[in-house]
Amino acid sequence: MADNVYDAIVIGSGISGGWAAKELTEKGLKTLMLERGRNIEHVKDYVNAGKESWEFPHRGGRTQQMIEDYPVLKRDYPLNEVVLDYWVNEKECPYTETKRFDWYRGYHVGGRSLMWGRQSYRLNENDFEANLKDGIAVDWPIRYKDLASWYSHVEKFIGVQGSRENLAVLPDGEFMKAMELNCVEKEVKKRIEAHYNDARKMIIGRSANITEPLASRTNCQYRNRCWRGCPFGAYFSTQSSTLPAAMKTGNLTLRPFSIVTRVLYDKDSKRATGVEIIDAETNKTYEYKAKIVFVCASALNSAWVLMNSATDIWPEGLGSSSGELGHNVMDHHLKVGAGGTIEGFSDKYEYGRRPTGIYIPRYRNWGSDKRDYIRGFGYQGGANRGRGLDIAEATVGSKLKEALSVPAENWGMGMMGFGEVLPYHDNKITLNKNVKDKWGLPVLDMDVELKENEFRMRKDMKNDAVEMLEAAGVKNIYTYDDTSAPGMGIHEMGTARMGHDPRTSVLNKHNQVWDAPNVFVTDGACMTSGSCVNPSLTYMAMTARAADFAVSELKKGNL
Amino acid sequence: MHRRELIKMIGLLTGAAVIGTDFLLTGCKTSTSSVQITPQMVALLDEVGETIIPATSTPGARAAKIGEFMKIMVNDCYSPSQQKAFTEGVSKLDDECKTHTGKPFLEASVAEREKFLIHLEEEAKKKNAENRELDNQKRKDHDQTNSKRSLAEQKEFEATPEHYYTMVKQLTLLGFFTSKTGMTETLRHIPVPGRYDGEMAYNAGDRAWAE
Repeated sequence: MADNVYDAIVIGSGISGGWAAKELTEKGLKTLMLERGRNIEHVKDYVNAGKESWEFPHRGGRTQQMIEDYPVLKRDYPLNEVVLDYWVNEKECPYTETKRFDWYRGYHVGGRSLMWGRQSYRLNENDFEANLKDGIAVDWPIRYKDLASWYSHVEKFIGVQGSRENLAVLPDGEFMKAMELNCVEKEVKKRIEAHYNDARKMIIGRSANITEPLASRTNCQYRNRCWRGCPFGAYFSTQSSTLPAAMKTGNLTLRPFSIVTRVLYDKDSKRATGVEIIDAETNKTYEYKAKIVFVCASALNSAWVLMNSATDIWPEGLGSSSGELGHNVMDHHLKVGAGGTIEGFSDKYEYGRRPTGIYIPRYRNWGSDKRDYIRGFGYQGGANRGRGLDIAEATVGSKLKEALSVPAENWGMGMMGFGEVLPYHDNKITLNKNVKDKWGLPVLDMDVELKENEFRMRKDMKNDAVEMLEAAGVKNIYTYDDTSAPGMGIHEMGTARMGHDPRTSVLNKHNQVWDAPNVFVTDGACMTSGSCVNPSLTYMAMTARAADFAVSELKKGNL
Repeated sequence: MHRRELIKMIGLLTGAAVIGTDFLLTGCKTSTSSVQITPQMVALLDEVGETIIPATSTPGARAAKIGEFMKIMVNDCYSPSQQKAFTEGVSKLDDECKTHTGKPFLEASVAEREKFLIHLEEEAKKKNAENRELDNQKRKDHDQTNSKRSLAEQKEFEATPEHYYTMVKQLTLLGFFTSKTGMTETLRHIPVPGRYDGEMAYNAGDRAWAE
């Protein structure tokens, strides 16, 4: 085998790419995983994981220099001293905005699997039927039953803690022992569920934090510093989970600093033959050949790779024949909710820092409920006991110090909505050839906005939060509805959607590009609709399913 | 207490968003220029900080090297106009203290210092409220002009800097409660809790968690 020839190439090493690499190598394929950024080695390179606040010169804050260097990241919490190394260099990798789009990227081995929120939920049966029922966009070419066993496969491997609830809206999975609700959350749960006769539920947020040892990984130590990288390997990331499994097979070659510029395509065989890369450090160009290519570069960048490929045959790129490539961009809309304080728990406190909160599954437009918008939202949040809010008297001196050294009298309880965004054809990304990145490659232009359905939903997201908190006896309720520019959910989806028909979709039901069946796109790009739950678990299941199909097709000689 | 809550708490206590933290865009043409914060100023800030958070049964802000912390934060995290407001304010702190108590800050007794800082806090609150009022009008004009610009040409509104004492107090609270002594001696801190208990017994007076 020549040193540039493999059985499979995986573009990207994040949540989806890591899964593609694991599945393909375990099935015996010599696999090359290409990552555009640097390597980050598990534990060894988590340089801030063990640092205390006082070891950061700005105590975890942001400097004027950081604000200047990160014009996008500065728009929200991700810009800070603690995890700065995990975010893309925006000067080297710009993009343009016809409309504001907050794009948070991690260009390194592991991608955003290192910094993700770890919330892990299955889509439900209705999610896969929703477009068909509502008569919007296109129908998913698969149903929940097609993915169910793959969800199980993934959950067992990555480790997801959660409670079994037997809810159609939020299917149960293969859970490890659930993390505990705290005393206030238990009471709020009881009151909300009683008030709504169980039509609304409050449960522990299901997350990819392990509560029991798994393989060589240690169970969660309740530090809640996950996004710095976990020295215990207690949450799922490429580094803690899929990469070691893929490496163990001896079939994986990982090549960092490899920017895939295009998928190579042979028009006679109608197959991809491999990819072209630029070495990010030397600027040299290389070609790698393979029988199959998995595109897992994250939703927008996967679309970028396709748009930049096979342009001699399809000017708009490989997979563009339907006119849907780069369209139907989705995210989740958020940053709307409410909170307050609750009396009666002053004799209780928390020990340990739990890395998940509560979850209230969708209940709107579910069952007999009917609203002036379609789809729904869930809430994430939690209760905790802060400090120092009841000290109007002391402004200086030992009394102030004392008041700030003990917990507040009352606990706080808050919840924030995460809503579904519909797939709109005119929410799109395009190649902007007038602006180039550090390597002379065209950049993406973003033209995405929230529309009427989302804005109507946001009213409920705010008002329902207040109503539930009131029902739970929460006092001093405050609300917020902050700007939620698309992108801030960090759940980009839809740019190469799956469908039944090559005229209206980019991928078929096995995630194959209609125009190049040995090219599979299995990250957020493939999503036909967005549901309202955090999507990463679905990408993993989708990737494992597609990898299984790809290998069996390869064996049959169909690819 | 998570860092975000600490920042929220400080914001509530000082009535102003905390500069140099996750939730604020210090919207301005940025600069990396340093301002002159002299060793004398650092020494003075140590004492001001110590008056806000004094040593009690546990060390106070001076032991947390609060003056040095303020210098780093103001130099690195403050915008030029905030830097200017900070240094100009701190430069006249001694004169104001003399006017108010008849003594420079370092010569004043603890009671005099406290009284003076309470006076400064009142003054800061008043001034900040006035500025906010003026800014609201300016912000409207700014937003109107901005809406006519393309997205790339839009500028963030730069609010009038807070009163310098608001800055000093914010930095004292932030610096102290994220310092080693603040987190481990005044508060309680366990880097690796190892387990979770959501209904741990709490007895009045028990220290709060630092993180």
